Amino acid sequence: MKEIVRNLIRRKLRSFLTISGIVIGIVALTTMGALANNFNALLDGGAKYYASYVPVSDASANGVTSGGIIPLSKADEIAAVPGVARVFPTITVEAKPGTLQVVSLGLPDRIVSYDRAEDAYSALKTSFAAGGDVTQSGQIVLGSNFAAEFSKKVGDSITLPVKPSDATTDFVQHTYTVVGILNPTLTAPDTAAYVDLADAQQLFKEQLPVALQATFDASQYAAGFDVYGTPGTNLDQLADRINADVSGVKAQRPTKIVKALVAGGALFTEITTAAALLALIIGGLAVINTMLMAVSERVREIGLKKAVGATTRAVMREFIVESSLIGLIGGLIGFGIGFAVTSLLNASMPASQGAIFLVTPGLGALCIGFALFLGTAAGIVPAYRASRMDPVAALRAN
Amino acid sequence: MIEINQLTKHYKQGKNVVRALDGVSLTIEQGEFVAVVGRSGSGKTTMLDSLGLLSKPTSGSVVIDGADTSRLKDNQKARMRGEKIGFIFQEYNLLPTLSALENVMLPLRYASKPAGDRAWAEKLMSEVGLEDRMHHLPDQMSGGQQQRVAIARSLVNKPSVVLGDEPTGAVDSETSDQLAAIMRRMNEEHNVTFVIVTHDLELAAKTDRVIRLKDGRVIADETTVQEAVAV
Repeated sequence: MKEIVRNLIRRKLRSFLTISGIVIGIVALTTMGALANNFNALLDGGAKYYASYVPVSDASANGVTSGGIIPLSKADEIAAVPGVARVFPTITVEAKPGTLQVVSLGLPDRIVSYDRAEDAYSALKTSFAAGGDVTQSGQIVLGSNFAAEFSKKVGDSITLPVKPSDATTDFVQHTYTVVGILNPTLTAPDTAAYVDLADAQQLFKEQLPVALQATFDASQYAAGFDVYGTPGTNLDQLADRINADVSGVKAQRPTKIVKALVAGGALFTEITTAAALLALIIGGLAVINTMLMAVSERVREIGLKKAVGATTRAVMREFIVESSLIGLIGGLIGFGIGFAVTSLLNASMPASQGAIFLVTPGLGALCIGFALFLGTAAGIVPAYRASRMDPVAALRAN
Repeated sequence: MIEINQLTKHYKQGKNVVRALDGVSLTIEQGEFVAVVGRSGSGKTTMLDSLGLLSKPTSGSVVIDGADTSRLKDNQKARMRGEKIGFIFQEYNLLPTLSALENVMLPLRYASKPAGDRAWAEKLMSEVGLEDRMHHLPDQMSGGQQQRVAIARSLVNKPSVVLGDEPTGAVDSETSDQLAAIMRRMNEEHNVTFVIVTHDLELAAKTDRVIRLKDGRVIADETTVQEAVAV
C-alpha cells in the first residue's frame, strides 16, 4: 500500500486531475442525492399519510381536502358507511396569504384544524419536542420549521395569519399562545400550525368574501373530512362506497394520490441517476486514462516484479488496488465537499423553507461505495494489460 | 543444480528464422560461479532468459534442483522464480518509490513461503556495505550502490541461483571490481550459484568457469577466460 500511495504522490498533478474528475462526479451525486433524499422523505411521509385515510371533500372540489365547503352534518352520513371507523372534519388555511411560491420543494406554511385523536388513526405519527396538545381555543401547536421560522417557543404568542403588505383594512389576525412544538417529520407537519376546529372555522370564515361572512355560520362547516377505515378495510373500496352512498361529496381513492406522489419522486430518482452517470463517465474515463499511462510508464517495474516472483494475479491486484484507492480518495473528498456544500446551502435557506438537502449515512455509503466501484472497475482493463505483459520485453523496454 | 538439455529457441524475424539457441546442453553444479560470454547475438541473453524461466524455449528443457520447468504454467514459473532464482540486471531495475531496504524486500512480497524476512534483508544490506543507506531512495544513491541493492535483492529469498545480465555493464571499472568482489563473496558465503552473462572479460576472469556461446551454440566451456576465448 505504501508503494501505491507513493506512486500517486510521485505524479502529483496527474493524480490531482484524476481524483478531481471523480470528485466532480461525486459532488454532483451527493448534492443531487441529498436533494432527492429530502424530496423523497417529504413524498414518503406524504405517501404514508395519504395511504392511511380517505380524503373527502365537497363534490365540486378539485383538490384533496380543500377547495370546497362541506356541511359538518355530512360527517354522520359518512360515518354510517360500512367500514368507516372515524371521521375528522378538517380545515386548512394559508398562514401567509398572498405569498407567491414560484419554486418550492415543500408545502407552504398553513394553519390546520387539529384533533389529537386523529394521531391514533393516522399512519404519520407526530410527537412533541416541547409542550403538548391544544386543549382550548386560542392555543396553537407549531411544526418544527414553522416554529423556527417565527422563532417561537412554548409560552410565546404568535399572531396569524401573517398580514400581507397589500392587505385590506378588514384583514383579521388572531393572537394564539404556543402550547406545543412538534419534532421534525421531514414532511407536511413541519410547515404547519395546528389550532382547534373552532379557531380553524373562524379563520376559514374570515377568508371568505366579506359579503358572505355575515350570513355564514362557520361552526356548521368544514373544508373536508379525513375518513379512517376499520382495521382490514380496503380504503379504495371505502372511497367508492362513500361516493356511492353519500351525495354531494367526493372521496378520493388513497392509491391514486399515492401514485401521483410516487411519480413525482421518480423524477428526482432520474436526476440522481443522471448525476451518477455523469460521475461514471467523467471519473471512469479519467481513471482509465491515468492507469493506462501508469502501466505504460511502469513497464520495467512490471517486468521486474514478474521476474522476482509476482504472478499474473499479483500484478493485476496491485494495479486494481491503486485505481480503487484513486476512486476511494475521490469519493471521500467528493462526498466531503458535497456534504459541506449542502450543509451551507441548508443553513442559507429561509427557515420557512427548512432544509432542502438531506444527507444520510446511506447516501454517504452510496457515494463513497460508488466511487470505489468506479475506481476498481476502471482499473480492470489497465491492470489486465499489465498482468499479461511479457516479462522479457517488459524488462528491456526503454 | 541446473541441467540444460538440448535447449533451442527459434523465432521469426521477417521471413528468416533466427536460431538464438541451437541445442545447448549444460550442467551447472550448486555453488558454481559461472560467466557466459560471447558477442552480441550469440544467444547469451536468450539463454539467461530461458534459465530464468522468463521465456519459453522452442524445445529442450531446464531442470532446476531436480524440477523440470518445461511443463510449468506461467504462474508456477513465477513462483519458482521467486523461490529459486534471483536476478541482477544491468540497469539495476529498482523501484523508484521504494527505499533501498524495501527494494531488497520486494521478492518477499510475492513469495508464498518467504525464505527470508526483514532481518535477513537488513543483514544482506550490511553484507553489501549499505547498512547506512537502507532508507535511501534509489535516486539518492550512486549506480554502484544501486547495483549492490540489486545484489542484496537477488539473495533475499535464499535462491539456488542468481542470474546476472551484464551486472557491471553500467558502472565504471573500479565499481565493477567492487561488485564482482561482492558477488564472489555472496557466492562463497551463501553457496549460491551465480551465472553471469557479460561482455566484460575482466569480470569473466574472476569466475570459476567461462562458457562461450556463438550462434546459439556452446563453443567453449573452460575454467579460465583465456582458454574460453582461445577457442
